[in-house]
Amino acid sequence: MAEPVAHDEHAATHRSHMPVYLGVWVALLVLTVVTYAVAKVHLPGAWAVAVALLIASLKGALVALFFMHLWDQRGANRLVFLTSLVFVALLIGLVIADNATRFPLANPPGTRGALPAEGSVREPPAANVQQRNRP
Amino acid sequence: MQASPLAHHFENLEKQAHAARLGMWLFLATEILLFTVLFAAYALYRFLFPEAFALSSRALETWVGFVNTIVLVTSSLTVATGLHSATRGDGRKTALWFGISVLLAVVFLVLKAYEYNHHFHTGQLPGRFYTYEGVKAPGAPMYFTLYFLITGLHAIHVIVGMTVLVVIGALARKGRYTAAYHVPVELGALYWHLVDLIWIFVFPLIYLI
Repeated sequence: MAEPVAHDEHAATHRSHMPVYLGVWVALLVLTVVTYAVAKVHLPGAWAVAVALLIASLKGALVALFFMHLWDQRGANRLVFLTSLVFVALLIGLVIADNATRFPLANPPGTRGALPAEGSVREPPAANVQQRNRP
Repeated sequence: MQASPLAHHFENLEKQAHAARLGMWLFLATEILLFTVLFAAYALYRFLFPEAFALSSRALETWVGFVNTIVLVTSSLTVATGLHSATRGDGRKTALWFGISVLLAVVFLVLKAYEYNHHFHTGQLPGRFYTYEGVKAPGAPMYFTLYFLITGLHAIHVIVGMTVLVVIGALARKGRYTAAYHVPVELGALYWHLVDLIWIFVFPLIYLI
């Protein structure tokens, strides 16, 4: 184990992480309680999703930055992480944009704005309607 | 480890640690994208069946997800504490903290199993196996298809993470790592934090909205 190591980075990186860890943990607990309480209120429409995802992103940022050390470690790690987030946004964003701009008939029966399936019995949407295959 | 942990193709330990970290982050990025595919499917079907998803989500026992979030977040803290001990060269404490984290993971999985058991009894199952009487909207079976895919894949990651923590904890106890060299402890901790990170997004999407 006699490899001479440049200790400066390790020393700087790991000097006193425990207070940070504990602070992040408390913040994560508080945010978990907040998001749980907000969900109980049942905010109208898109607000519930927006607030829940905002709080989740905050919590995720705390974990990535401090537990996973993206805050204090230099190098390409941050770039890799941020690139993955770009692709997350691309995939989810484009999938939603595609379906939001479709002609209603192109979406599966039983969904918002879609007409009943061809050959299906004209009845109010009930369970398993969307499972019916075309003949 | 009798020989030095430094591989011959690296100039020094610091560069080797940098390379190892970068490799781990590349792997974590693929993990994030693996889950993103499922989240995209969830986003799509939630967009198509908003009412069914809201009703199905409310049919879950929210407290289980809440408690599990607390459990996982706390396990992340204990793993981070274990890494802190490793940076001080205290392998025994690393093993202790990793052991506590594994116990918390067991609590997580027991609660998850309790939940799955409940779904099987009430017929909250994917696709044509769906027989739940509480929510009869088109799209509800799709919600539970995605529910089982997302939580199932996450549970597999929890089990893999537990294995990693057990192995690295055992090696730390044997004194394999020092204050100067503890990269495996760091990478194992990174994996565990990713499992926590994914759950932080699963919890609101599955249980809260």
